[in-house]
Amino acid sequence: MHLPDGLLPVGMAAAGYAGSAALLGLSLNRIARLPDPGAAMPRAAMLTAVFFAVSSIAVPVPPTTVHPMLVGLMGVLLGWFAVPAILVGLFLQAVLFGHGGLTTLGLNGLILASPALIAWVVWRALAPRAPTVAAVIAGSGAAALALALFVTLVLLGLPADVDGAAERAALGVFVFAHLPLVLAEGILVAVVLRVLARVEPGLLPDG
Amino acid sequence: MTARPDSVGSGGVALVLAGLTAFAPLPALGHAALVEAEMVAAIRLHAQFDTGEPMAAAQVILYAPDNPAQAWARGTTDPAGRYLFAPDPAVPGRWTVQVRQAGHGAVAYIDVGADDGAAPVVAVAGGGGPTGPLQRAVMVALVAWGALGTALYFRRRRRVHAST
Repeated sequence: MHLPDGLLPVGMAAAGYAGSAALLGLSLNRIARLPDPGAAMPRAAMLTAVFFAVSSIAVPVPPTTVHPMLVGLMGVLLGWFAVPAILVGLFLQAVLFGHGGLTTLGLNGLILASPALIAWVVWRALAPRAPTVAAVIAGSGAAALALALFVTLVLLGLPADVDGAAERAALGVFVFAHLPLVLAEGILVAVVLRVLARVEPGLLPDG
Repeated sequence: MTARPDSVGSGGVALVLAGLTAFAPLPALGHAALVEAEMVAAIRLHAQFDTGEPMAAAQVILYAPDNPAQAWARGTTDPAGRYLFAPDPAVPGRWTVQVRQAGHGAVAYIDVGADDGAAPVVAVAGGGGPTGPLQRAVMVALVAWGALGTALYFRRRRRVHAST
């Protein structure tokens, strides 16, 4: 679920870069204000590698294939660190795998990083009352939001030369194929948090 | 003397026919359809995802070298992700091909040389190629190694900080 090079207008790509840069600036600013900014660095580094790697796992959901996004997980486990982690991961994916493009890096960053931050906020608000439900809502909600952002940007950037009806139909199939993934991402966040709480509570994010 | 009206009559019919054919262009006479065939140099695109899966029923948009703003042709790939088109040999240069489906896709450039009797030269740029599983595994391992190094570096620094 990455926007590739060359399909969207240049103006949108530039706006995406501006938006991502603003988001990155904000999160780096917040990270610098933390009492110990380096504390979450090991976790952020490892999750960046995981985020980078899972995009090469293609799960066939006929007639298309989907790959895990882990937006909700990144947000819940990393908080503000999710933004630089996702941007670094996206950059490596674009350069090494050809997933997404360099011109669309900013847009892809917005598609994935903003749901991650929202998931983090939602999870922090709900977790004290119902940890499992909060984790599922954060994970599934973030995946669904990323999907919605992707579809919105594709529709906004649809050039006149493209058969709009066919593209909308293809997008419908695409969204439908991702619905199991949306559910799985929510369950994954709940499972990971539960496993961490049992095995390595030190790695748990401070709620 | 009987031959003259005959010849006049046939001449008149011929004149009327000539008049008809002059007013109505030939293809409109009746509903005659003509099919001609010629061999042309065509280009077949193969569109696939990097998993090797074909991009079936994806939209193909072609741009000629002389007009990159307006589509020269549009179409869809077949179930095997193929699309066949014959570029205009009068317009040599870099043809732009966009293949897209549900926001995914790629842009490729096909250099078509001038048709000087020989087959036109075709060179493809962009669009990428599928990465093999080994290549992907090595790239993932390298990034994981880098991340592990970063993680250990920050852990160690924290431990040093804590002990001092």
